[in-house]
Amino acid sequence: MPEVSFHQQIESLRLGAGEIFYGEGILAVTKALLQSGVSYVGGYQGAPVSHLLDALVQSQGLLSELGVHLETCTNEAAAAAMLAASINYPLRGAVTWKSIVGTNVAADALSNLASPGVEGGALIIVGEDYGEGASVIQERTYAFALKSSLWLLDPRPDLPSLVRSVEMAFELSETSNTPVILELRIRACHMFGSFATKDNVAPAHSANRRLGPAPFNYDRLSHPPATFRQEADKVERRLPAARRFIFENKLNEQLGPREGPIGIIVQGGLFNVLNGRLALAGLSDVDGRVAIPTLVLNVVHPLVPEEITRFCAGKSAVLVVEEGAPDFLEQAIGQILRKADVGTQLCGKDVLPMAGEYTPLAVGKGLAAFLARHDRAGPALEQWIARVEAQQAQVGKALVAPLPARPPTFCTGCPERPVFAAMKLLRREMEPVHICADIGCHSFATFAPFSQGNSILGYGMSLASAAAVSATQTKRPISVMGDGGFWHNGLITGVAGAIFNKDDSVLIVMNNGYASATGQQEIVSSAKEAGGRGPGIDIATALKSLGVGWIKRVRTYRVASVARTLRAALRSQAKGLKVVIADGECQLARQRRLRPETARRLAAGERVVRTRFWVDPEVCTGDHSCIRLSGCPSLNIKPNEDPLRSDPVAHVNNDCVGCGLCGEVAHAAQLCPSFAQIDIIQNPTGWDRLKQRLSTGFIRLLGGGGRSKPALVTAE
Amino acid sequence: MAHVQPITVLIAALGGEGGGVLASWLHRSAIAEGHFVQGTSIPGVAQRTGATTYYLEIVPHAGARHRRSDRGPVLALNAAPGEVDLVVASELLEATRAVAQGFVTPERTVLLASSARVFTIDEKAAAGDGRLDAQAMADIARRCSRLAIIADFTAIAAQAQAPLNAVLLGALAASGVLPVPISEDAFRAAIRAEGKAVDANLRGFEAGRAPRRTASAQGDKTGDQTRASPPLMHLVSQQLEAFAPQARAVIAEGIARLTDYQDAAFANRYLARLKPFASRPGAEGRFLRELARHLALRMSVEDVIRVAQLKLRKERVLRVTHEARARAGDIVDITEYLKPGAEEILGLLPPRLGRWALARIRHDRAWPLKVTTTRASGFLRLKALAALKGWRPHTLRFAEEEAWVERWLELVDRALAMSPAAAQEVVATAALVRGYADTYKRGLANWRKIVECVIEPMLAGRLSRAHFADAVLQARLAAAKDPEGEALAETIAAIRRSAAAEHAAAE
Repeated sequence: MPEVSFHQQIESLRLGAGEIFYGEGILAVTKALLQSGVSYVGGYQGAPVSHLLDALVQSQGLLSELGVHLETCTNEAAAAAMLAASINYPLRGAVTWKSIVGTNVAADALSNLASPGVEGGALIIVGEDYGEGASVIQERTYAFALKSSLWLLDPRPDLPSLVRSVEMAFELSETSNTPVILELRIRACHMFGSFATKDNVAPAHSANRRLGPAPFNYDRLSHPPATFRQEADKVERRLPAARRFIFENKLNEQLGPREGPIGIIVQGGLFNVLNGRLALAGLSDVDGRVAIPTLVLNVVHPLVPEEITRFCAGKSAVLVVEEGAPDFLEQAIGQILRKADVGTQLCGKDVLPMAGEYTPLAVGKGLAAFLARHDRAGPALEQWIARVEAQQAQVGKALVAPLPARPPTFCTGCPERPVFAAMKLLRREMEPVHICADIGCHSFATFAPFSQGNSILGYGMSLASAAAVSATQTKRPISVMGDGGFWHNGLITGVAGAIFNKDDSVLIVMNNGYASATGQQEIVSSAKEAGGRGPGIDIATALKSLGVGWIKRVRTYRVASVARTLRAALRSQAKGLKVVIADGECQLARQRRLRPETARRLAAGERVVRTRFWVDPEVCTGDHSCIRLSGCPSLNIKPNEDPLRSDPVAHVNNDCVGCGLCGEVAHAAQLCPSFAQIDIIQNPTGWDRLKQRLSTGFIRLLGGGGRSKPALVTAE
Repeated sequence: MAHVQPITVLIAALGGEGGGVLASWLHRSAIAEGHFVQGTSIPGVAQRTGATTYYLEIVPHAGARHRRSDRGPVLALNAAPGEVDLVVASELLEATRAVAQGFVTPERTVLLASSARVFTIDEKAAAGDGRLDAQAMADIARRCSRLAIIADFTAIAAQAQAPLNAVLLGALAASGVLPVPISEDAFRAAIRAEGKAVDANLRGFEAGRAPRRTASAQGDKTGDQTRASPPLMHLVSQQLEAFAPQARAVIAEGIARLTDYQDAAFANRYLARLKPFASRPGAEGRFLRELARHLALRMSVEDVIRVAQLKLRKERVLRVTHEARARAGDIVDITEYLKPGAEEILGLLPPRLGRWALARIRHDRAWPLKVTTTRASGFLRLKALAALKGWRPHTLRFAEEEAWVERWLELVDRALAMSPAAAQEVVATAALVRGYADTYKRGLANWRKIVECVIEPMLAGRLSRAHFADAVLQARLAAAKDPEGEALAETIAAIRRSAAAEHAAAE
């Protein structure tokens, strides 16, 4: 079961005509898919679009009623390939993933999908992971839309607009036989709002109402000579059809007065940020009644040249508000104006940042510069900028040093942390080795206190990225990969490649049972526990079948044993790939399973032993070596009670889940005698109580627990 | 242009703290009260303790007007600096971050924040004290907000055994600072409707509502103030009067510590070591206090006998039971993780025998033990170790520590003759030698390096005397900041370079 429960939201996916949906953007999109009569949905999880799949996985009942097929794909390439069902059949299909990374993985299938085009509407919902909160490289999905002739929607971020975009996207796709991408920024996906719902539509053809095979048609194949015809078809028929549809259905919106000396062309997704700054300048209001002609591009590719020229004609200047590099829109608009011989001055990245998120301050500054050039400057906007910058400078000065960042880290009790503790211990004892990091929770090991990793090349790519390194280094490199990345593509791209090429390197596979970083979605090796869907395929068996000879399994919490195994892998005389499978279930998933069970047993009066760790504040000397080897959120510091010491002592708080890492590290690194394991026997049995009474009696006999700390002692 | 201004709310929290649930309570209650509300979040990698923010905009009484229309108010998805009415922060650094980013402004913003700190990894991992100055952060937050409600809501939550986000919601409800009407019952209904841990959250809500004393963000850095146990403050003795008043409390504590550690005679040795410094020129109160403090700590070094003694104290079980929130009737067991090494065990032998044995065994040998002190067998083992207290003065470890103390005092003594400021820094180097096993060895090695490469050359006049204090300080800070790394070696090289340059310039 995924991390987030969508129990309440699932009910809202069933809402009918005229009811009100309250919820986040990505779930509104999910509801819109059902309202659009989608036949199949698939994808690969990743913030910020994971919730679409997570919610549907938990809505099996509703999906079977409607006949919608749901596929949780092994990677984005599989998701894109799934859209092939819409090439030959009038089926509406939607897939989702995180972009840019997912789009990269899907690129081959996307090209092969785009070339023949589609009969049924094909929609790709991408989470544009850009700006604050993003976890991937900063690139735009736009380039893919351009090169493969896919249409790209970037709608205004409000729920009614998102829902309408989904509905129109299917029509656009079918009218122009082209797959459509709907891009949603992080904040739009997580946006909470409301819209009036329609009834869900059971598709005409679906898992419940099945079709026969399509007749052979060579033009449905992306294979020469059809590909030559398809390329021409893209530009000669599909593009004009799309432009006509966009224009006639007013997918792009012109707001504000028709005429004016200056205008603004803005990506739909950025309209809200722009409107806030316009309102501040006295040029709009909270309802979006702008005072400057504004063209909101809910479709950013293709542009409709007539729409652009008509908007720009008669204006002395337009400002293009387009986030990220390169400036695709600005270039395209410039070309359209030049060809139409419209002399309007084009502004954009000259006043706005070339790269980075368009925050209110970034847009405000660009807008102020543009307005000033054209004598529309409002003092309010400029004063606001000055005030913000003055305050930031003033606070910066008062703070002396910049505030420390607070990156995410391994959860309390995470099974992956001990592996990195072991690696850090090894680093003290042996010379450092090259570390190929990967995508997943384990990439938090690049942050303090572990601070390791020489490169990250993408999801499941660590071992592949070690290929030339292992061939040119004096020491074997270590590649770290999660089970998520392993099944996403690491098995083939990494392991098969390393075996074929006889690469001499070490791979650690973190086997925590889920794609954890994205919210504990089940994967091929997930066990079938608590009603999960995982088939429990064994990673070691998969490795053996590929011919990996050196495979060791370790329990991650046994730090000394992990260190020993890694040392053996690094020093082994055996050439070739050596794999360490680090077993330890994702602690978030484990706790979610155990907590209700423990609560039930406690309430029923059954014996439950709760274990947590504790630091003896009298023995801790405040050196914090333990923290430098762990970084566990529940391993904290607190003021020293000793009047002779001032450095804070280590302290374990009650979030501790008793994973035992701190004790293991204290042993493995021979740290200090401050760590103790606390076992709290709740609802003890009569036997427990008898044993304890005997021990206590004996201890009392021996001097009763030792002398108390002296309160007052006078010197001689 | 219409003049409706949305009410803007920014929530700054840490992943896993329920910032999203708090935002959801606000959403639900605002909707129930007929307002139009829209919001979003940067949950980051939720649950995983990174900084997260949630942003809401509420248009008062506009719910009915917009609910069914396709065109609601255009609400921003990003908080804009200077345009936030209310910032709720679950932690002081995150509150300060919101201030630094300009979201909290004196003209407009009410800041509701917990004064508690959740330390960042850099603060926690520093050897010694790497904590940020909480008082300074709270001061900046107060200065930059229209109204600041900063209190230890985290402690209130802990006391009520309720989630912090519910306490914050309660405090928000009671403060009446939300510039849009939402009744307390609407908040309660939202908590029930959300359906997550309803009882605990309602308990937290009421705890947050309850009036409280205005707590300030207490900087718990001790700084210059050493807190002596109150009874010791009353200790009056002839011997203490010989010392500057500033140092007396620490010396009294030191006497108590060493009497407990060994015996009264040992405490007297402590006094005898301090006394010659009391009347020395340049030995001011602060100097004496620090000398007394470090000397007491270094003389009561945690050898295996001491560790066993500390672990047998009666109060421990009570303390653990309380800290671990064990209920009446629960049985609490404490299992110590010990791993004495060869040096620690053979250190119990007489010096000559101990050195002989150590020469014949690998020093990295260590024996991992798990000793349950709440059970007879474990108790017995530690009791036997603690009983060696009387034997301690005959051990190798004791002899080595005594030699170290004499060496350190000698350096302090010589430095004091040259420069009181430098002597103060030499005193402070004692803090580097602490901990156990590898930590202890690394600290000792770093200390020796500082003595050999900085202190001795200074005392011998080979390096410029003017930089004596500063050089020792720099070296100590480098060793403390990066005990395992290269920082100390680099600092020493820099000190030598600047000395050489000065030398050349002088010639």
